[in-house]
Amino acid sequence: MDAALPVTGTTTHEEHHGPPEANRSSRVDPQMLGMLLFIISEIMVFGAFFTAYFFVRIVGDNPWPAEGTELPKLIAGINTAILLSSSLTLHWAQTSVKNGNRRGLKVGMLTTFLLGATFLLVQINEYVNIGFAPSDHAQGSIFYGLTGLHGAHVFIGLILLAIVTVRAFRGHFSEKEHAGLEIPGIYWHFVDVMWVVVYTSVYIV
Amino acid sequence: MSITPRQPGWTRAGIYCLYGVAFAFALSIATRAGLSYDPLVDGESVLRIALLGVPFFFLVGLGLFTYWFRWAAGAPTIPEDHSGHGAKSWKSYLYPNTDHKVIGIQYVVTSFFFMFVGGLMAMLIRAELAAPGRQFVDANTYNGLFSVHASLLIFLFIIPVFAGLANYVLPLMIGAPDMAFPRLNALSFWLLPVAGTMMIASFFAPGGSFASGWTAYAPLSTSAPIGQEFFTIGVQFAGASSIATALNFLVTIITMRAPGMSFFRMPLLVWANFSTSLLVVIATPFVAASQFFVLLDRSLGFNFFDAGQGGDVLMYQHVFWFYSHPAVYIMMLPGFGIVSEILAVKSRKPVFGYRMMAFSLLAIVVLGFTVWAHHMFVSGMQSWIRVPMMVTTAIIAVPTGIKIFSWLATMWHGVLKLDTPMLFTLGFLTMFVLGGISGVMLAMIPLTIHVSDTYFIVAHIHYVLFGGSLFTIFAGVYFWFPKMTGRMYDERLGKLHFWMTFIFFNATFAPMHLIGVQGMPRRVADYAEQFATWNLVISLAAFGTGISTLIFAYNMIASWRGGPRATGNPWRSLTLEWQVTSPPPVFNFDEIPTVVGGPYEYGVPGAVHGVFGGSGTTAEPTQEPAESAGTPST
Repeated sequence: MDAALPVTGTTTHEEHHGPPEANRSSRVDPQMLGMLLFIISEIMVFGAFFTAYFFVRIVGDNPWPAEGTELPKLIAGINTAILLSSSLTLHWAQTSVKNGNRRGLKVGMLTTFLLGATFLLVQINEYVNIGFAPSDHAQGSIFYGLTGLHGAHVFIGLILLAIVTVRAFRGHFSEKEHAGLEIPGIYWHFVDVMWVVVYTSVYIV
Repeated sequence: MSITPRQPGWTRAGIYCLYGVAFAFALSIATRAGLSYDPLVDGESVLRIALLGVPFFFLVGLGLFTYWFRWAAGAPTIPEDHSGHGAKSWKSYLYPNTDHKVIGIQYVVTSFFFMFVGGLMAMLIRAELAAPGRQFVDANTYNGLFSVHASLLIFLFIIPVFAGLANYVLPLMIGAPDMAFPRLNALSFWLLPVAGTMMIASFFAPGGSFASGWTAYAPLSTSAPIGQEFFTIGVQFAGASSIATALNFLVTIITMRAPGMSFFRMPLLVWANFSTSLLVVIATPFVAASQFFVLLDRSLGFNFFDAGQGGDVLMYQHVFWFYSHPAVYIMMLPGFGIVSEILAVKSRKPVFGYRMMAFSLLAIVVLGFTVWAHHMFVSGMQSWIRVPMMVTTAIIAVPTGIKIFSWLATMWHGVLKLDTPMLFTLGFLTMFVLGGISGVMLAMIPLTIHVSDTYFIVAHIHYVLFGGSLFTIFAGVYFWFPKMTGRMYDERLGKLHFWMTFIFFNATFAPMHLIGVQGMPRRVADYAEQFATWNLVISLAAFGTGISTLIFAYNMIASWRGGPRATGNPWRSLTLEWQVTSPPPVFNFDEIPTVVGGPYEYGVPGAVHGVFGGSGTTAEPTQEPAESAGTPST
């Protein structure tokens, strides 16, 4: 069956060895645009979980947190500071690579990764010691749902950071080419900002 | 070429699937041992992990992640030699490929496969309902049949087939050599067979397939047997595929248009897919989340939907419909685009009110997010939500009405060519108006309360999704068949297909309005004696509809194998995809064309949409003297 083969028409194209250069109809970098659109999707996933939070806490008028439980506001607050500072060190790494400072890039990425990993470990420790399970009540489900969804995003972010760190140590990125650092960076900043929203609504309000 | 197990391909994918099963066993047993559960081996737990994990092993085995793994490890990536571009023979379609044209055909063929499977289930449903009482299947199997029927046709047919058609023609239409992210494009296609196989395989699950409808309302879905999770998890893969494709379309449309192609020179199919992709990116995460909730409730004992523990079952419906109402526009807007293309070409007239057509698409996107609770008028939600939702639902008929009247005005005084694509387009116009009218009726709270969960709803949904979406899909497939395959389809069989579909479709679904108003409940395997006559008529007509799709399948396969060769531009269309050979060259264009005018200037002497090579001549002269004469130079 040769139906899939090109018909030899008025013009032949066998002499081609690659596609023509696509026209760039926007100044936005395609990869960056893709990441920004993906973040819109991510915000909507969190939106759905916040809908569940809204229904249990506001519509259902359940006590928050559930009776007899307490949320560790202080430790989580310190953890928030740890996560937010990782955004700063990431920015430091990004500024370093733009200025040709390779040492700043490597130390900055490593610090960012370690701060993010610390956040995740503190979060897991919080789960172990918090004294209730998602199966105990709807408030517990919402608590674990929202913080767990965020934790999963931190985990994915850490994988991206690990990739960037490995590539940084293997000599990738330069003053001109640092999109591979910028685009995961946007994701990490999103994860950090999202935590502020989660922390405020789950722990503080 | 010898095939070794280590090479990416089907052999390795199969072996990796076995690894995936082993991984599921290991993880489940290790976790249960760690938490000292008894017994150590729990079938449901293993199956659940396997459903989530094996697809990834399969996709890695197929080689879809190879490039990204190398890139992530910082290893030198294999330079693109375009060996994964274009199809060398029909076998190329069985392997991952990064060419948008190959992926487009993979999409269309795969989704039509799932249409035939879903259609067969519809035949079984109608066989069961041909007479009152029990015929062939028991009630639980019946519930499974209509659930899998709807899930397959929605998530594995209508949504992806539009993505497939657009995958093929959209980059050509905007003058791009490919999509923005070709590897992501390949991945989004291969997620589909995974999701579809999972949904069909649910029939083999202990306790039967998922049987809670495609809506999978909690707490029905949280208490159903394990088959339910084939839906819960399958939807995640189909949804991920949708989102990835939508991102790809948006980035392609925004960053890769040919020089001169401003947003208001884009063909309306591009506009339609732009709007659809916005809907997908914003709405689809909600269905993913709703199924995450169900999965967490089922597997880890969460209480999202356990009212005794403070959970809220209505929350499921809100989250689900916040996706699934926009989803009906995801299933319709690309069809609007197809219809706009075909009507302009087949009427030889510019699309009436081009800008209003584009703006009404965007209006539907915005309004689509404000109407979800009209699916919940009888759910027992807060009653004050009902009237605002009724009003917004009535309002959303306005942009749709703008489109209907613009299409009618496009045909007004046109030179109509009534071939198969045009017949399906006209069939769409009439049937969609009927479905739209019953939609506005259903927006009215008193009527909804009366006909809720009756066959009136079944009639409405099939008038918009079969008479609406599927007719535009058939129109689009016939219209671009010469471009995709390089062959012409059989016009006589095409017309026969249309008339059979049109007549039997109406004979099937129009009587459902009547028996619905009389109170025949939907989703029930048995019914009262008084509906017996109509149901027999409906079943016979449904079998006729089934036979008509066989004509379609025969026409497609036979024409693809041995139809007459198609010229580059058999419809004398102005848009860019018709200005190259059929099928297009591997890299679409020798050089990117320059767009100098609107896409629908039919009947305007000397009108050109795009020029090639800067020399001011179109690559293929149009065969209409009035239009080719006096081609202007740039």
